[in-house]
Amino acid sequence: MNWRDLLSISTGNLWRLKLRSFLTISGVVIAIAAFVAMLSFGAGNQRLITEQFNELGLFTTMQVYPPRGDSARAAVLDDDAIEAISKVPGVNLAYPFNSFKISANFEDTALELEAQALPATAFNTKLYSRLVAGTFFSHDSARQAMVTEEITDTLGLSADSIIGRQIVISIQVASIDSGLAYILQGERDRLKGRLEEIRFDSLVHDDYRKRVFYGEMNEAFKYFLNGYMHHRNLVCDTFTVCGVLKKMRRGRMQIKPVIIPAFAARRFSVSGFGDDPADLFNALKNGTFFVPSGDSIGRSYPQVTLNLDPHVPYETVSDSVEALGFRTFSFAAQFKEISRFFFYFDMFLGIIGLIALITASLGIVNTMVMSIIERKREIGLLKSLGADERDIRILFLFESGVIGALGAATGIIFGWLITRLASLVARTIMTRQGLDEMELFALPGWLVLTAFLFGLIVSLLAGFYPASRAARVDPVEALRNE
Amino acid sequence: MKAIDLCRYYRRGPSEVRAVDRVNIVVEKGEFLGLVGSSGSGKSTMLNLMAGLDTPTSGSIEVEGVSLTALTRRELAAYRAHKVGMIFQAFNLIPHRTALGNVEMALYFNDTSPNERRRKAVEMLEQLGLGDRMDHHPADLSGGEQQRVAVARALVKNPEILFADEPTGNLDHENTRQITELLTRLNRQGLTVIMVTHDREMARNYTGRLIRMHYGQVVEETGNSTSPGGVV
Repeated sequence: MNWRDLLSISTGNLWRLKLRSFLTISGVVIAIAAFVAMLSFGAGNQRLITEQFNELGLFTTMQVYPPRGDSARAAVLDDDAIEAISKVPGVNLAYPFNSFKISANFEDTALELEAQALPATAFNTKLYSRLVAGTFFSHDSARQAMVTEEITDTLGLSADSIIGRQIVISIQVASIDSGLAYILQGERDRLKGRLEEIRFDSLVHDDYRKRVFYGEMNEAFKYFLNGYMHHRNLVCDTFTVCGVLKKMRRGRMQIKPVIIPAFAARRFSVSGFGDDPADLFNALKNGTFFVPSGDSIGRSYPQVTLNLDPHVPYETVSDSVEALGFRTFSFAAQFKEISRFFFYFDMFLGIIGLIALITASLGIVNTMVMSIIERKREIGLLKSLGADERDIRILFLFESGVIGALGAATGIIFGWLITRLASLVARTIMTRQGLDEMELFALPGWLVLTAFLFGLIVSLLAGFYPASRAARVDPVEALRNE
Repeated sequence: MKAIDLCRYYRRGPSEVRAVDRVNIVVEKGEFLGLVGSSGSGKSTMLNLMAGLDTPTSGSIEVEGVSLTALTRRELAAYRAHKVGMIFQAFNLIPHRTALGNVEMALYFNDTSPNERRRKAVEMLEQLGLGDRMDHHPADLSGGEQQRVAVARALVKNPEILFADEPTGNLDHENTRQITELLTRLNRQGLTVIMVTHDREMARNYTGRLIRMHYGQVVEETGNSTSPGGVV
């Protein structure tokens, strides 16, 4: 008997008992459809993440942070450090993440936004290459700005129409000057009165001197802080919008709505401190308190982004940067973790599918055992015609295999249809909620093959016992006249 | 074919049934042997043992000098596939297969190509006068036609020995005559035929030699092993 004979006999028998075959195959179809739909969801999400990683070039992106703790000898993530990091083998580009709050005026519209300073070379990386309109700024000191779609959406403008428009960026910076000015100007009458109250001849006494000095110094510092926090200098500049970037805000890879060239941004970012008092204390701690306005010397950054050479393993770069005393975060390493999660997730879904398939396989066993009872005389006849036990076993295994193959193939189609339906529902919900449409399901070749083999192998295993039982049928008994 | 001290015992509950008990038979090539006896005499068991469907408890069967008891299951299956043709009282046709499909089945196990199978089956059915019945299912055929399909199935692989177990048991007089004449004709063409029947009269008329069995033993042997089947 060749495989065509086996196929012909098997399909013939299944066709003869249509309802029973249909019900048995349906069990496999449901199990495989569930298996495909569930794993398709896992595969879809994995593909989505991989695509996003690829699209943003995250596999070749690494973030560097200052070390934890406040040791005086801890490495500072400043320009010197960036220079050193950029020389690490495998680092194509290193640039700081330098963001600050701004007031932006687009003609008659004023917006409170966050801005980011970026070197022009950063646009060579995938992360910043998602240009919707216009061009990147030409050089680091250009009076040009890039905005994201967030701005065009807020202003109700198209990406093309915002190109060439003026944007006035202003920032209020706290500084030592503003603190001192407050003490000397706002409080000078009160201070004058206090000075008059001090008995200078009594300053020779330790107790009096300590009380006066500590008391007055604390008072003065309180006024200094008040001036520092509330009486800031205004720094203002005008830029021309040269390009619009695609909106993105995902985890550690944020793109601020306004991006200005690194050098042109210095007067905003280093003229003073933000409104967070911690900046002041950090500056005091780092010894950068008295850095002159407009100069970046001694400035430290909270984060530096590295663009890596894809041919150099990220672990090597990470080790080298950490050896300089900094912390690193690698997206490639994170992806490994995500892949591991998906592996276990898929395993879990696969086990659920397997349970469904085992249930279906009991139906196959039942069908095949029934078939043996009904076809006992046929088995006896085949043996009398020259079939041996192996032929009979193969015949029945083939029949189980046909049930499995038909069930698996149909199950894959049904599973795919389920994912299409679920995808349609998900997309509709995303659209209604104003989210970007995403395809949450995928049916890669490996999944189709796995599902098919899964259905086939489980069916063959289910057919093994009935096939062995059929092979053992005594032909004399089977052919005995009743 | 030689059966030497052939025994086939069954256990049925606490007792032992001696279906075939120390039987010695020699069947010559081209012979038409009739095995007769009442029900339970062991004639069908004897037939099954000689056809290689059953295994003896002791003793042996030799076919052309080869002992069937020494063969593996696979070799025994090959013996049935190539050298043995069988017909049964109940015809044993597969009801959902056509006459042609039933005859073709006999060639599944002897390395015949699908085209050759079809050609041989058609030829055999035509020879037996069933050319216009090939696409009919067994349920659409008369008893005689069904048995002729069964004979075609047994002969299509060109066997050396034809075993017939009560081939006319379910047939009327006319069909019985046709089938026995067919077997006689085949025997005259050189085919060895071993037929089991309870009809001694019919067996005496058609077979060359007659062996009567009783309680598993040969109790009477008439005729000549060298003579072919009788002529009616």
